[in-house]
Amino acid sequence: MSIARDPAAAAPPPPARRRRPLGQRLLPYLLSLPALLVCIGILVPFGTAIYYSLQRFRLSQPWARKMNWGENYWNFMTDPAFWGTLKVSLVYAGLTVVLELLLGLGIALLLQRRTRLNNLISIMLLMPLMTAPALAALMWKLMTNVNFGVLSWLASLVGLEEFKWASAPSSALFTVVLVDIWVYTPFIMILLLAGLRSLPRQPFEAAELDGVPRWFVFRRITLPMLTPYIITAALFRLLDSIQQFDIIYAMTQGGPGDTLTVFQVEAYLDFFQSTNVGRSAALLMILWAITYVLSSLFIKHWLKLRERAAGGIA
Amino acid sequence: MNDGAAAPGATDAGEGSLESAGRGESEDRETDSVAKLSLHGITRRYGRETVLDQVSLDVPAGGTLVLFGPSGAGKTVLLRVVAGVVEADAGEVLIDGRDQHGIEPEKRGIGMAFQNFALFPHLSAFENIATPLHSRRGEGATRAERRDTRTESVERVARLLKIDHVLRQSPGALSNGQKQRTSLARALVAEPELLLLDDPLRNVDAKLRFEMRLELPRLLADQGTTVVYVTQDYKEAMALGDRIAVLVAGRVEQIGSPEDIYLRPATKRIATLFGDPPINLLDVDPECDADGPYVTLSGRRYPLDPALAVAVGRQCTLGVRPEALRFGDASEPGAIPVTVEAETPLNEKVVDLVTTVRGREILVSRPAHLSGPASGEAHLVVPMERALLFERASGERIRPRGGSPGSPDTDAGGAR
Amino acid sequence: MRRSPIERALRGVALTVVVVFFMFPILWIVLMSFQTNETILRMPPSLDFTPTLANYKALITGKLVSNAGTLDIAFMGNLWNSVLLSVSSVALALILGVPAAYAFARHKFRGSEDIAFTLLSFKFAPPLLVLLPLTLYFQKIGLANTYVGLIWVYQLICLPLILWIVRGYFEDISPDIEYAHRVSGHSWWSTFRKIAIPLARPGIAAAALLAFIFAWNNFVFALVLASADKQPVTVGALAFVTASGIQYGQIAAAIVLSIAPTLALALVAQRYLVEGLSLGAVKG
Repeated sequence: MSIARDPAAAAPPPPARRRRPLGQRLLPYLLSLPALLVCIGILVPFGTAIYYSLQRFRLSQPWARKMNWGENYWNFMTDPAFWGTLKVSLVYAGLTVVLELLLGLGIALLLQRRTRLNNLISIMLLMPLMTAPALAALMWKLMTNVNFGVLSWLASLVGLEEFKWASAPSSALFTVVLVDIWVYTPFIMILLLAGLRSLPRQPFEAAELDGVPRWFVFRRITLPMLTPYIITAALFRLLDSIQQFDIIYAMTQGGPGDTLTVFQVEAYLDFFQSTNVGRSAALLMILWAITYVLSSLFIKHWLKLRERAAGGIA
Repeated sequence: MNDGAAAPGATDAGEGSLESAGRGESEDRETDSVAKLSLHGITRRYGRETVLDQVSLDVPAGGTLVLFGPSGAGKTVLLRVVAGVVEADAGEVLIDGRDQHGIEPEKRGIGMAFQNFALFPHLSAFENIATPLHSRRGEGATRAERRDTRTESVERVARLLKIDHVLRQSPGALSNGQKQRTSLARALVAEPELLLLDDPLRNVDAKLRFEMRLELPRLLADQGTTVVYVTQDYKEAMALGDRIAVLVAGRVEQIGSPEDIYLRPATKRIATLFGDPPINLLDVDPECDADGPYVTLSGRRYPLDPALAVAVGRQCTLGVRPEALRFGDASEPGAIPVTVEAETPLNEKVVDLVTTVRGREILVSRPAHLSGPASGEAHLVVPMERALLFERASGERIRPRGGSPGSPDTDAGGAR
Repeated sequence: MRRSPIERALRGVALTVVVVFFMFPILWIVLMSFQTNETILRMPPSLDFTPTLANYKALITGKLVSNAGTLDIAFMGNLWNSVLLSVSSVALALILGVPAAYAFARHKFRGSEDIAFTLLSFKFAPPLLVLLPLTLYFQKIGLANTYVGLIWVYQLICLPLILWIVRGYFEDISPDIEYAHRVSGHSWWSTFRKIAIPLARPGIAAAALLAFIFAWNNFVFALVLASADKQPVTVGALAFVTASGIQYGQIAAAIVLSIAPTLALALVAQRYLVEGLSLGAVKG
């Protein structure tokens, strides 16, 4: 005998009381609670920073501390030091990201075939990335020492006799950008290499069969397919570069003079040298705003990538 | 599913009689206390999609219920709800009459085999199978004794399922068939009282599937296990189940013995799902005249069972299984002229594709040893006593005895 | 792909230039660490010199004996601080982060995505924003210049990494496998220990490795929050430079000792590393 509907329920279905025992329900929260607590503990200073940025606050003059609301920010408008900070930070970030992208892409292209040699070289190129940026700056500082540095000597060989590297305002930016390139280009290389190696074979095989010139293949096939990785790498580095501290501080502490006072370096000096907490906090808030916008872009882009990867072929 | 050799007692009895193969009709449905597993009104939603909608069914102790349905019907989700790894939004699961709400999966005394085997890749086949044994306090006073008991149990099950020679290998090294049997062994080794099998024969080659279809019921009957078996293959459903629950889009459309489902399907869709080649569906409009209700097929008058008189005036669909149709003489009353377009031998039967004068395509099948017109003109006879009548719009079968389903005078339990 | 000989030559040249550019500084500093001050100060620099272990000896023994007298060098302390801070931070991050990653992977509870993103955005925020107010707080609550305080703050570096990488690995485990283990009679904790963690082990290793490297290489956290006795090598080496009476050979040796652990790790576990690093781009 066949029954169409509801054979077992002689009675009406029971009321839906669906709460599981408390322990079971709380489990995921309990598991992540410690991690969350730690992070919350770190969020508190963030709120404080906002608070400080709205104050006139010098550690050396605690009696004069008072709220001045947006005055710190307002003062930035007319403060040449602020504009200098902004300018040098943007220039530094722009230069490093662009140069590292170009270089990283080039190296990745050189190494894309899986040969023993290429693998060996890839491993070697990991080394600079594993070096602490502050220590890398130190290394380059030794090498560019005007008295005995090997790079100074090499420079003199090509006619640059009195090249002062990081000690001169004209060449300081060049020097720190160089160090940054040395440390971080391998990162881009790794990312783009992974991207290159994960590209599907067919379009390239087809192009080769059709005799398409290699330059064309690169411009019209490789580059477009690599674009998501390039964007990821660029955003990642941009976020990092605009807040660069280690390399610049270790190299020159922001000098010579104030040629290299990027955001975090300037904020640090404000806090520890000038004890100007208010200005320091305001500066950092502006930096944070910039990085927040960038990181939102990055996360959105990353999400899109994840969806595409999960949904199959792009 | 391809039409392999018919297993004895399985479907497609060309003569229209289906053996229940000795599996008793479960008449003891009325009392929950006897049922091993009871589901009441199970509902589960994922976002805006309702995956299970008020699903209720019973499985008596020692019985086998097959959950049959197309993919996406919610069968796997239902099994997971029973196992306790997925929570239902509403409804109850009762095992041995006890509400399982809040009871963790590990305490429900269930064995489960998964569609994709779900073997632990970092453990050997032996260790995979032994997993359920670690959680129970084994017999034996010392660790060594307990380990020996475990080893014995694992090897016993492995021998039964013929994988004892690959026990030391890791799942990655096993063939699909071996993986499936390992997964089954793991489900069986602790001799659970309730066994949930999620399409375990799906990813397995045809020959093994056929073998297991014979061995499994024997294996399970020996242990008196209550089984819920999920499959998309209707032949498997009819071969293995005491009763079949047809699940479509999260709702139970019909529950009954294989014979019930085959001969008295509740809807057009169920009729189509069961049967190979599928049932012929012809739109008809029953009418009534002095001699009683009838339908017109290709201009011929076919009398309708008076018990179906309620269908008169409604738009209907007539369902006739290919094996019910037969070729006949032009002189027979109601013989329909058709053209035989193609003939396909299909193991034990022969299937003809015929077209009527108006171009309607009909499938006719007969046992292979009988001869019939291979091509050209022929005449078809429709035995109305084996035809099914459905409402065209809703797809529901119109039941005899003057009541359509849902009407208050339908004797829903009467025909039992 | 056929390459013309000119092309092959050009590639060879390009690759050589690249390798030289990236390897040279490290090699040079290693060389320098085996040179006496006189050798170093000699111009033009030459490769013809007698190597000496004096620099390393001075660092390791902590004493620099020179004509001017004996100078105490606390660099070994810095090294020890680095080890302690990095290992402890990673350990703590694993203990906190792996279960949390599991919770995020398996239970899509309300707000889990938001929390995850907030945590990620921590990683991208300027550290000084947190560190500068924190240094004032720490002084008030007595955590200034303590290992505990530092390890806690280092979680800001390690936890997000662990969470993001390990969560991906947990998500990759088919839920059916865990269901099978549960139904076999085991609790969620047993399943977590015996199934989830072993299967996610490569990811946990990659994340731990990366976290260690980031912690070890960290500079600004320790610069702000640690005083001389608790400073790791990154800050210590810098202080080394500005201290008077230190010889360049020892600075070089100090740098070598400071970068050796991370470089060694990179060599040994580079596959894990690359996987962890490119996880950000390719897998997400």
